[in-house]
Amino acid sequence: MTPIEFLQGLSEMEIIGGLTVLSLLIGGIIMAAGIIVAKIAKMIFFKYYAPTLPQDTAKNFGKIIYFGIIVIAFFAFTSSQGLDFSGLLVAGGIFAVVIGFATQSVVSNLISGIFLMIEKPAKHGDTIQIPDMGISGTLLDIGTFSSRIRKFDGTVIRIPNEKFFTSNIRSLTVSTVRRAEAMVGIAYKDDIDTAISAIKTEIQLSMPFVLRIPEPEFRVEELGDSSVNIQVLVWHPRDDWSQAQPILLTTIKRALDKSGIEIPFPQRVIWDAEK
Amino acid sequence: MSEDTVESNYSKYGEYSITDHLELSFPETSVKIERIGEHAFSYFREDSEGKIVEKMIPAKSNELKIEVAPIRPLNYPARRTGYVFLKFDKEIYLSQNSAASIFVHCPIEVGIFLIHDSNRESLDWITCNPLNSRFGLYGSPDTGTLCKYAEVTLATDFSDSVPYVEGVMKIIIENNLNSGQTVSKVIFPITDNSLYYEDSKSILDGIKVTLKKRAVVSIADVQTDSLSTDWAKSPTWEDSTANTSMEMGLE
Repeated sequence: MTPIEFLQGLSEMEIIGGLTVLSLLIGGIIMAAGIIVAKIAKMIFFKYYAPTLPQDTAKNFGKIIYFGIIVIAFFAFTSSQGLDFSGLLVAGGIFAVVIGFATQSVVSNLISGIFLMIEKPAKHGDTIQIPDMGISGTLLDIGTFSSRIRKFDGTVIRIPNEKFFTSNIRSLTVSTVRRAEAMVGIAYKDDIDTAISAIKTEIQLSMPFVLRIPEPEFRVEELGDSSVNIQVLVWHPRDDWSQAQPILLTTIKRALDKSGIEIPFPQRVIWDAEK
Repeated sequence: MSEDTVESNYSKYGEYSITDHLELSFPETSVKIERIGEHAFSYFREDSEGKIVEKMIPAKSNELKIEVAPIRPLNYPARRTGYVFLKFDKEIYLSQNSAASIFVHCPIEVGIFLIHDSNRESLDWITCNPLNSRFGLYGSPDTGTLCKYAEVTLATDFSDSVPYVEGVMKIIIENNLNSGQTVSKVIFPITDNSLYYEDSKSILDGIKVTLKKRAVVSIADVQTDSLSTDWAKSPTWEDSTANTSMEMGLE
C-alpha cells in the first residue's frame, strides 16, 4: 500500500457527520504546530524583548502571545474541519449564562488584573501596604487572576486581583525619603526646649541615616494627664527605615536619660477637700 | 591640633609597599596590614565608632602595594546617592551681571586601594569625620534629590584643606540675571569631580554655577569645571552616573 492509498483510506474512514480520520489528523497537526509556534514565539519574546520591559508587563505579554497563537491555531483547526458552530449558538447562549454565573469571581479577577496592569498602582519589587487587609510587604507580581506579596516575615500571600484592585494601596517606595515618628512624654517640671535640644543633639550624633535637611521636627502634641507629650518626626532615605524607626525611641530615651529629664509614669493627684 | 601636628602624626596619602607589616594612622582611625604567610596578608581597621573591619588579602607575591588617597564623600553611612549638598556658612551676594570665584571646604573620605599592575582596586574606605557625614534632601519628599549634606566654610586657597576631612574646591559663580542674587547653597553630582592629593592635602575639580533665565524661570546651572594640577590624581571607584550637571531653582 502506497502512502497515497493509505491517506485515501483514512479520508474514507468517517467518524461522525463528515468528520474523517484524515481531517482529524490534519487538525491535530495544525494544533500541534500552533502549540510549538506559540512556545517558540514565547521563548523568543522572553529572550530578546522581555528584559527591556518591566517584569509584570513582560509576563503578561508572554501570556498574550502564547494563548493568542493557540487560539488562532484552534480557529484554523475548526475551519479546516468545516465545523459549523451555528447550531451551538442557541445552546451556547444558555450555557454562557450558566458559565457566567459560575465563573463570576474568576472573570472579575481577570478584569481587575487587566485594570491593575493598565493603572499600575505598584510595580514588581515595590514595598507596599494594604491597610484594609493589614498586609505589608514586597509586591512579587500582578498575575492574570491574583497578585502575590512577600510579607516581611518571609511568607508569600496571594491576593485575588478583585480585592487588590478595590483596596487602598499605600506605596512605601515611591518617595525619595520617608518619615519616622515617635511620641514621648516629659514631666511638667522639665523644660520643653531643653528636652527638645537634648533629643535633637542625640539624634544628630547617633542616627547617621536621619536627614539634616529637612531637620528633625518637634511638636508639643498634648498637655496630657501625666506628661507633656512631644511628637518627634525625622526623615530618612526610603530604603533605610530599619535604621530610623525602630531605634528612634531608644535614642530619645537615651537623650532624656543623659539630660536628667524625667519620663513620668501615669499619675493622679488626689486632693482631700477636708484638709 | 595644628595642621602641622596633624600632618606629622598621621599617615600621608600616597603609595605604600608592604613586605612585613604597615600601620596607618588617621584621625580616630587606625589601619594595620600584616603579612600572615606566603602570599597572604591580613587587613585590620578600627574606626572612631569602635567598628572593626578585618579582611584577608591573597597576593601574587610576598609584597603588597597599596595606595591611600582621598575619595568622594559618598560612602558613609551608606552609598545612597551621587549628589552633594554644600550649605555655605556665609551667604554670597552677587550683583547683577557679575561673577565671583570662591574656595570652599568640601568633605572627603579616605580610600585604600590595592595596586595590581597598573590597576587600583578599592580595598576599604574610611571617614574621619562621621558626625558630619549625613544626608540632606533638595526638593520635596516625593520628587526631591537625596544628597550628602555638609555645612561648609570658605577656604582661602587650594592649600587650605583640612587633612583627611575636607578638600578644597573652587566654585565660580556667574550671575547673568538682571538683579542681585544671594547664593547660600549648591547641589551637584560629585561623581564627575576628580580628586587630587599631595602629602595630606586634597583638592577637587571645581564647579561653575551660572545663574540665568530660561524662558520665564530663573535657574542655577551647575557644571563641572576640571582642574589642571600636578598633584597626584586619586583613583575613583564609584559607579559613574550619566548626570554631570544639575539645575537648581532659585528662591
